[in-house]
Amino acid sequence: MMKVTKILSVAATMLAVAPIAAQAEDTIKIGFVGAFTGALAPYDQPTLQGVQLAVDQINKAGGIDGKFKIELITRDMRSETAQSAVMTQEVIDQQVNVLLSPCDVDPSVAAGQIAQAAQIPTIAPCASTPTLPGIVGDYMFANYTADNLQATALAYFAQKQGYKNALILLSRDTPYTEKLPLYFAKAFENKGGKIAGTVEFKMGQQDFSAEVTKIKGISPAPDVIMTAAYEPDFPAFIKQLRSAGIKTPVLGSDGIDSPTTLGLGEVAEGVVFSNAGYPSEGSSLAKFNADFKAFFKQDPSAVYTATGYDVIKVIEAAIKADGDKLDGPSIRDAIDNLENVQVATGTITYKGMNRVPLRVVALNRIVNGQKTHVEDIVPNGADVPPAE
Amino acid sequence: MALLDIERLTVRYGAIQAVQDAGLSVAQGEIVTLLGANGAGKSSLLNACMGLVPLAGGEVHFDGHLISAERTEAIVRRGMTLTPEGRRVFPSLTVQENLEIGAAASRDLRQKSKMQREEMYALFPRLKERFQQLAGTLSGGEQQMLAIARSLMSEPRLLLLDEPSLGLAPNIVDQIFDIIASLRRRGVTILLVEQNAELALDVADRGYVLASGRVVLSGKPAELRSAGLERVYLGAA
Amino acid sequence: MEFFLQQFLNALALGGTYALLGLGLAVVFSVLGLINFAHGELMTLTGYGIFYALLFGVPYPLALIIGVVLATGAAILMERVAFRPVRNSSGTTMLLTSFAVSTILHILFQNLISARPKAIAVPNSLTGAVAIADMQIGVIQLLSILVTAVSLLALTLFLRRSLLGIAMRAAAEDFNVARLMGVNANLVISTAFGISGVLAGIAGILWLFQRGSVDPLMGFLPVLKAFIAVVLGGLGSLSGAVIGGFILGFIEVGLRAYLPDGVLAYRDAISLTLVILVLFFWPQGIVARREAVR
Repeated sequence: MMKVTKILSVAATMLAVAPIAAQAEDTIKIGFVGAFTGALAPYDQPTLQGVQLAVDQINKAGGIDGKFKIELITRDMRSETAQSAVMTQEVIDQQVNVLLSPCDVDPSVAAGQIAQAAQIPTIAPCASTPTLPGIVGDYMFANYTADNLQATALAYFAQKQGYKNALILLSRDTPYTEKLPLYFAKAFENKGGKIAGTVEFKMGQQDFSAEVTKIKGISPAPDVIMTAAYEPDFPAFIKQLRSAGIKTPVLGSDGIDSPTTLGLGEVAEGVVFSNAGYPSEGSSLAKFNADFKAFFKQDPSAVYTATGYDVIKVIEAAIKADGDKLDGPSIRDAIDNLENVQVATGTITYKGMNRVPLRVVALNRIVNGQKTHVEDIVPNGADVPPAE
Repeated sequence: MALLDIERLTVRYGAIQAVQDAGLSVAQGEIVTLLGANGAGKSSLLNACMGLVPLAGGEVHFDGHLISAERTEAIVRRGMTLTPEGRRVFPSLTVQENLEIGAAASRDLRQKSKMQREEMYALFPRLKERFQQLAGTLSGGEQQMLAIARSLMSEPRLLLLDEPSLGLAPNIVDQIFDIIASLRRRGVTILLVEQNAELALDVADRGYVLASGRVVLSGKPAELRSAGLERVYLGAA
Repeated sequence: MEFFLQQFLNALALGGTYALLGLGLAVVFSVLGLINFAHGELMTLTGYGIFYALLFGVPYPLALIIGVVLATGAAILMERVAFRPVRNSSGTTMLLTSFAVSTILHILFQNLISARPKAIAVPNSLTGAVAIADMQIGVIQLLSILVTAVSLLALTLFLRRSLLGIAMRAAAEDFNVARLMGVNANLVISTAFGISGVLAGIAGILWLFQRGSVDPLMGFLPVLKAFIAVVLGGLGSLSGAVIGGFILGFIEVGLRAYLPDGVLAYRDAISLTLVILVLFFWPQGIVARREAVR
């Protein structure tokens, strides 16, 4: 039965115009199982836009290495982990060469395990938990700035500012909101800092009055407050913190890199946060933003557009490097050995990083409701707390 | 022409036939009683007239208009209302508020409502004494009075009364029937459903007997008595 | 003592928002026997209404009013389009309808507007704090307490004084009998949805002031809290919803303030256990309906 179908389809292809048939062989299929609706959509929708832009640019230029047109196959897993596995199976059945997984660690594990068994290299465009590749296996790669990397950059900054006591605000609801502050604490302590206290919150609680009242009572008063809280928790927290008269500087992570934070006004002034890159004039990120605007007729809504673009550039670099081989093991090995690949957010290195890439961490400060560049940091590998 | 005309009325609840091809009529100024054992379909018939349960067949005419497809509140505005079985006053509303709601159908609300209310207080002095009290704290007899007064607030030309004596002490039942008699003097037409057949036949001009959803007997009180009501009741049960 | 007073005010502010939300659910439940899980989306709509109004240069106070009006209109429309056709169906059908409405709106927001949050700037005058004795209380929190009080008072006056309000209370106790009094069922139900829309709009604004942005899923968590408040207070009871909202606020703030750090992670489990305990002693909720079944 299988054979009959194959013969039929070959016959059908031959009947069709010949050049198209020849081209059809030279495509690389990239599957993207993402959360295009539901709770994770705010991350995967922008990621998809970045991916689409990269695919369009590469295909217009004749494909990867001038040979392989990219065929993008997308599936919505509706922010449900179980659907992530189902949809992954579906795209694998369509013989994809590389898989992109959703924007969170759990559904990425679900997708990655199936792809691992099928020996299909999988990249998580924006899941940032550094343990993800280790959990799934040697076909799973991270792409986004890992939590421990980001935390280390923030710890460098805190130390440079002369802060002695730090308070961390964390939520055990997600690995990101819990571990990132803990990585920060570790890196900060390694550099001689002290953790004055840990305050916990519940995501979506809106009301931070109890936590703020607690922070007020901590002595000695912390020199800095670090948190990985993001919308809607971060705005609520910082408002209530400032309105309680606490003027302690606040450090945040890339989760707060959004127009909302900039729109907070006075209360957010001076907040420093890390992210995947700052679009300084002439930088690759600035160029990406311009290209994005030209293509979509709108500004990028989040940095995930750029990191989504990066993933396709990584795949392109890997295929160029492995001599145009499209089988899973070859692409896997090629990604694992990439060094200093030029991408939208800067450069990215996988070699020697156990599939969690080394990238630039940009520090930004909010001044007059605008994001301003503080510095770019590439942490020293030895300072980065081990993934846990 | 009769004020209320019911033709071949049928009500079903799923597979259960509650009322079947029932027909009856009430003329202006009459008191008509509808008798029957428990479960004979009396309440279903009244509820169907008021549009509270859907008809499976038949027609209801009120004052010459076909009303079987109309909404309950529209029927009330036409001048017919029902004082439901079990009184069903609004327990957490005060006596006065219960009465105000009774006038909800009137077009020119407040002023008229107030006049009506004073009239009801004249008719039921007990209610006046308790006008600020929550209806749920009244005795059973007082609640029945309130339920009737509430229905009268919409100035109905036809009042359907469902089991007004249910669960009340004998002396209170007498009071309720005195009120029914006085309503007749005020010109209110009444269709009275009662289990207490003797009392009902005492005040009624005519009567119908319902058994298993069908009208099995009708006539003047004397005729019904001589036809052997008990037999019908036993047969139905 | 100062810590306690501070936390007491915190609890009052949070509980007030929950009370407004719970009241919105309870008003509809009382006349229709439906927990409208699309209630949260009305809050979200308020947010988008304000966002777009500001985008078109509408002055801030007017934008807030537009937000509330939008939620109110949407609530009435929701009833007309989605719930009226299934009004006489089983409770389950109506409940599933409300989930469907909620999901459809989520997806419309995500695909027609944006999956990303939209920022709504909050005036700086609202981010300050007022000093009362030795305490600092945020302007937004103070506003929450004030707005809750005014809304509750206005609703109480409406329900006590106006004929429509009395009719709604009557309909809540016995819908069919209310109709027998000539009370217009459609009007009462539309009004209930309208009120729930106004309350969702007001609560939505208070919520937005805290978070500074609107996103498609903004209403999900609040409606869940409101549901807990309503069950706690007694399904169908309006005063119960308010009491339930405040109790929930006090439980949450109390646990966050006084639980030792080690068990803080379990505070949601503990607060829900407390809710279950309350229901164990008052299975019908704190303000049980006199008539348990309609």
